Amino acid sequence: MFNGFSQSVMGASHEKTGLVCQDSSAFKVSDSYAIAVVADGHGSKKHFRSHIGSKYAVESTIEAIDRFYEDTEEFEANFPKYHKMILRNIEKQIIANWNSKVAKHLEENPVTDEEKSKFTDEEFEKIQPESYYGSTLIAAIAGRNFTFGVQIGDGTLVALFEDGKAVMPMEYNESAPANVTASICNSNAATMFSSFYTDQKKMIALFVSTDGLYTSFGSEYDFLDYHTIITSQLVNLEAFKQIIVNNLTKRSRFGTEDDISLSCVFDEPLLNDSIGLIKQRVEENKQEAADRKAESLRKRV
Amino acid sequence: MSNEKITDAAMNAALDGFEAASSAAENAQSNALDFDDDPLSATGVSRKSLVIFFLIDTSGSMKGKKMGELNTVMEELIPEIRRVGEADTEVKVAVLTFSTDVRWMYSTPIPIEDFEWARLRANGVTSMGAAFKELSLRMSRNSFLNSPSLSFAPVIFLMTDGYPSDDYKEGLRELQSNSWYKFGLKAALGIGNEANDDVLAEFTGSKETVVHAYSGGQLAQMIKIIAVTSSQIGSKSMTLSDDTGREIGEEDVFAAKQKLLGQQIQELVGSQVEESDVPFDTGW
Repeated sequence: MFNGFSQSVMGASHEKTGLVCQDSSAFKVSDSYAIAVVADGHGSKKHFRSHIGSKYAVESTIEAIDRFYEDTEEFEANFPKYHKMILRNIEKQIIANWNSKVAKHLEENPVTDEEKSKFTDEEFEKIQPESYYGSTLIAAIAGRNFTFGVQIGDGTLVALFEDGKAVMPMEYNESAPANVTASICNSNAATMFSSFYTDQKKMIALFVSTDGLYTSFGSEYDFLDYHTIITSQLVNLEAFKQIIVNNLTKRSRFGTEDDISLSCVFDEPLLNDSIGLIKQRVEENKQEAADRKAESLRKRV
Repeated sequence: MSNEKITDAAMNAALDGFEAASSAAENAQSNALDFDDDPLSATGVSRKSLVIFFLIDTSGSMKGKKMGELNTVMEELIPEIRRVGEADTEVKVAVLTFSTDVRWMYSTPIPIEDFEWARLRANGVTSMGAAFKELSLRMSRNSFLNSPSLSFAPVIFLMTDGYPSDDYKEGLRELQSNSWYKFGLKAALGIGNEANDDVLAEFTGSKETVVHAYSGGQLAQMIKIIAVTSSQIGSKSMTLSDDTGREIGEEDVFAAKQKLLGQQIQELVGSQVEESDVPFDTGW
């Protein structure tokens, strides 16, 4: 029923500076659910193991969802009724998994002299060990009767429901402190999640991406239209996989030079039934983009 | 879970995230990518972007030589700003005119490649405070600064020839509470004898980023110096660490850029050769 793909490409700026890719991405599909997830390691000086932290964020999320789906029937029955509470529990489980992986890694791989050499002793003492691994996280999950997503930090979730329109359904957590970048490494990370849930619409495709993709677009319209075009290509998934590597590489090289990750899951039978509608949307979007451009170039004085 | 499938690169990336990703990028490059054959190219790639705001006084006192010269210079300037952005920055331009009313030249910032100057006419009074309020309203992620690719704080360039006829301080207070204004690069040009440099310094935050033009020749020189220098500095990626590798805050980066702009403007203004053209205020 479900299928998907995921891809990470290294940012042009990271190639220049010799940094490893800080992003991680994955998808997983089963009979009852599908999950797409990406994570963007912070990459700055004090987050010197964030490429590992982003990998753990992705793994922790998949493992948490797997665990909640261990009893599929019970989960599917309870989630629509108690989705707010269950979402909070999923978020806590993700953080617990991540903290446990980080603690284990740090125990097995103590900070090296080389890693410490970039800091004074006083500076190094001030850094919380979890911060070495700091990362964002964004995941989209499709069940048989509902769709939901969780997010901490930057990144974008795009959904195409049965009407064929690309939307960003995430409801942002306004209570998170505005001047603090939300990260899975924050001590109060479990309270910094944003999320969304719906059981009202059937999803055709769900996408999550790291910030490097969003910032390679000149407008949000273009960003959403891009996802509609991708959806129109998913009927030939194998051929599309090379296209998406090329396109993400181009976007990183000529865009903001950041790492880019994109992960997607989709409902294959519903996509096949809706492909005519999706292609029609692609054409409508092109016309609307041309109309918007013509309107913006009209002089007002 | 029956019939579970964890597919190809997907879990590779999950389990070996950075390795899978970097090898994908390397493979992609070594395969000599065919970027032309891309069904996704309908939505173009945007480079890091910067918006330059021009706030232009079009009150009645600008009539005649000042307005004529300004229109000519701005038409000539567009290709020069295009060159600033050619390498790796997409420059967009937004022009706000103020006289009795305030009015945007276009309904949204326009990429410099598409931008065409609309010749301005002068009439009415100098509603500078209203212009500051309108600018503050539009300098928002929900309005003129909504481009995902926006990477730099804006450049804001004010040009006026007179004292504001409304309560500019109230407008300025509103503008000063806008974060984009706080972190933006600000410069101002006073045109003719009536322009008040103290008011302009209140707007930019320092006297170093205020210059004055008393003739058509100077006006052309000053507009080009300020617009080109501020675009160059505005689109410069400055490091967030100092010489010792200590990380510094974004506020320090913006303060450093504003200081650099002041220094460069003063150096360039100082190096200009005096031209013997007729002052604006002769016969005024």
